[in-house]
Amino acid sequence: MIDLIGGTPYYILEFGDELVYFTPYTITLFLLALTFTVLVIISRPEKQVDIAFGGDAYRTKDISLPEMRFRRFMAIACGLASMGAMVTGDIFNFALFTAMVGITNVGIVAAVKSPHVQDAAYQYGLVALAATIPLFAGAAVYAAAIGSLSMIELMTGTLPAVPLIAKAMLVIGVIGEGMAPFYAAKAEMFRAPGAPYVIMCSLSSLLIFLRVVEIVMLG
Amino acid sequence: MWGQYSYGIFVVMIAAVIAFFALARERDDLHKLLLLDLVEIAALGVIALLGTDLAEALILPGLTVGIAELLALSQIYCTKEGIREMPVRGLNIEVIAKADAPLIISIFLVTYGMILSGFTGGAVAGLGLVILFISRSYREDLNLLEMASGISWALWIFAFFIFMFLPEYWFVALMGAAIGILLKVTVKMSLVGTMWGEQHD
Repeated sequence: MIDLIGGTPYYILEFGDELVYFTPYTITLFLLALTFTVLVIISRPEKQVDIAFGGDAYRTKDISLPEMRFRRFMAIACGLASMGAMVTGDIFNFALFTAMVGITNVGIVAAVKSPHVQDAAYQYGLVALAATIPLFAGAAVYAAAIGSLSMIELMTGTLPAVPLIAKAMLVIGVIGEGMAPFYAAKAEMFRAPGAPYVIMCSLSSLLIFLRVVEIVMLG
Repeated sequence: MWGQYSYGIFVVMIAAVIAFFALARERDDLHKLLLLDLVEIAALGVIALLGTDLAEALILPGLTVGIAELLALSQIYCTKEGIREMPVRGLNIEVIAKADAPLIISIFLVTYGMILSGFTGGAVAGLGLVILFISRSYREDLNLLEMASGISWALWIFAFFIFMFLPEYWFVALMGAAIGILLKVTVKMSLVGTMWGEQHD
């Protein structure tokens, strides 16, 4: 009966409205997010070296402690939000965690106090804010059309078919929230001071893309 | 029900399309942000169309996420444009500062809010106090208000414990929760009215 890309759930936790489950697929993604969060916690910021062309001169970029702390905090929050999005079994909670990933990604990018980075962060933030609309609207249409937000119930196949528009809106929302690494010129971001934390942007958006594929294929 | 829902969602979709069209045409950064706030209402409309208790439970987190992103973006906008913090001391409009109208309006709103009670009543009464505070450039020790807010919140939680453990006293719990949330929302909103970007400690 349960025949899914994610595999049979190993474990289902139902605590009131909260619904968490682990399948081979989601547990892999969860462990990936956990590993990278631990790496972010223990890692130190890199100091980039700018080399002046045509000479021997080079200079290192300095990162102030408050800036580094803020970015690390945002990166950890981003990791936690990704972990939540990986294991939740409730479509609305998935939308919330995805929106949180979007906010923390904006935070990671915006921590750099450089005008063009701030500009990119603002533009990306506008996209992320616009993406919350299809995201939450998609979840609401799910609830309206099939009368449930539970992915476990979706798996059983007893519910009516999910309308295509709901799936489309959910996917568009996730694309908008997770587009940080594509939008804010990736190479520029990785060269910006405080490099290791920026990796969380890429990782979290990759993870939410992978998860939304599973969700869309459930119903 | 499905028919009504389809009509409703059609109207909301048209509203969203109009708002997104405006967003695509807009070039000013700040105006884009304001338009996005408008578009957000369409998303809340889609959720509200569920028309059940579930919708009410889903709107609140949706709204919170929207406001959080809006705050983050406005902060980035201020940093990006190099806008400094400028403390504002009340509304410097002579008519509002001198006349009795704000007082009368706020007394009316607070009374009406107390009759309503609960969350809505708290919002209405708080609005009344906000009007009074912003019109009078009021200076007061805010610690007392904050303490009242905390105590009323505790009362609210206590009422929930009565609901859970002593369900036969539900009426006492109901009254406690209603009064607690009324005071809490009122105080929280009036604190909003006194904060004009100054640092209180």
